[in-house]
Amino acid sequence: MESNWAAEHLQVIRTLMERSALYRRALAPIMIFNGVVGLAAAALGWTLEVGSPRVFVLFWAGVSVVAIAGSFLLVRRQALKESEPFWSPPTRRVTQALLPALVAGLMISVVVLVRAGLVAGQPDNLAGVLWLPLIWVVLYGCAFHAAGFFMPRGMRMFGWGFIIGGCGLFAVGVPAWASPLDYAHGIMGGFFGGLHLAYGVYLYFTEHRRNAT
Amino acid sequence: MNPEPFLQLDRVIHEKGRLAILSMLAASPELSFTELRDALTMTDGNLTTHIRTLQQAGYLSVTKSFRNNRPLTTCSLTPPGRKAFANYINLLEQIIRQTKPE
Repeated sequence: MESNWAAEHLQVIRTLMERSALYRRALAPIMIFNGVVGLAAAALGWTLEVGSPRVFVLFWAGVSVVAIAGSFLLVRRQALKESEPFWSPPTRRVTQALLPALVAGLMISVVVLVRAGLVAGQPDNLAGVLWLPLIWVVLYGCAFHAAGFFMPRGMRMFGWGFIIGGCGLFAVGVPAWASPLDYAHGIMGGFFGGLHLAYGVYLYFTEHRRNAT
Repeated sequence: MNPEPFLQLDRVIHEKGRLAILSMLAASPELSFTELRDALTMTDGNLTTHIRTLQQAGYLSVTKSFRNNRPLTTCSLTPPGRKAFANYINLLEQIIRQTKPE
């Protein structure tokens, strides 16, 4: 009897300690913002026919800067509204978990940026680097899966969505009907726009419901 | 069965609300009043009362400051508080060990 009571107490303590380490800021606005930015950027890239590997990398690097800066401002606004420190321990943990995979993606992008067009026989269009958006997708998924250990449970599933989707598209290859331009921007828009937006809308409703109860 | 560990349980920590506060703070260097209130779904008054009790026992330190012209109250465990919390967990483990069938 006392043993059960003590075990339950320890379980409650463990749950509370885990909850304390979780990142609790509302993620829906951040996801929706990133989704809208991703879709708008994909449409813009496709309309402007951003087709050279170097310009493609620079274009999406610029988009990621906008997305990160916007997310930063949204998190900061939430922290100010709640009178809480911005650089809280959970925020620090999430950032540390995100960094390795994101830095790997950045380094690969820099290599492509430097080497694009230098390899003999490689065309100076996106056909030669169609693996790059998929690499970004998979690494982004790895980053969010790692951060998911300090965030609500759905975040790891979100990461898996990117990882499985990216690897699946590697396996399927480029469909014959798709031009490199359509394919590259379609991947970026679909994953970084569509998935973010869908998850953001899902979070919007579930976070509201959780707050209401 | 030896009732000793049960009798040694710190009554200040043993209360459900205060134990929850200490558990949260044991996993974070510090937490703001609003973070604690929201995570534990306590009322302001309830949380204030528990914090005061823990503070009087010397288990909690409370810092009041201003951030962007808004008052910010943060709580953290004191070394005696961390020790008392670890001791409480050890006693719970002792109780489980004593009553566990061999």
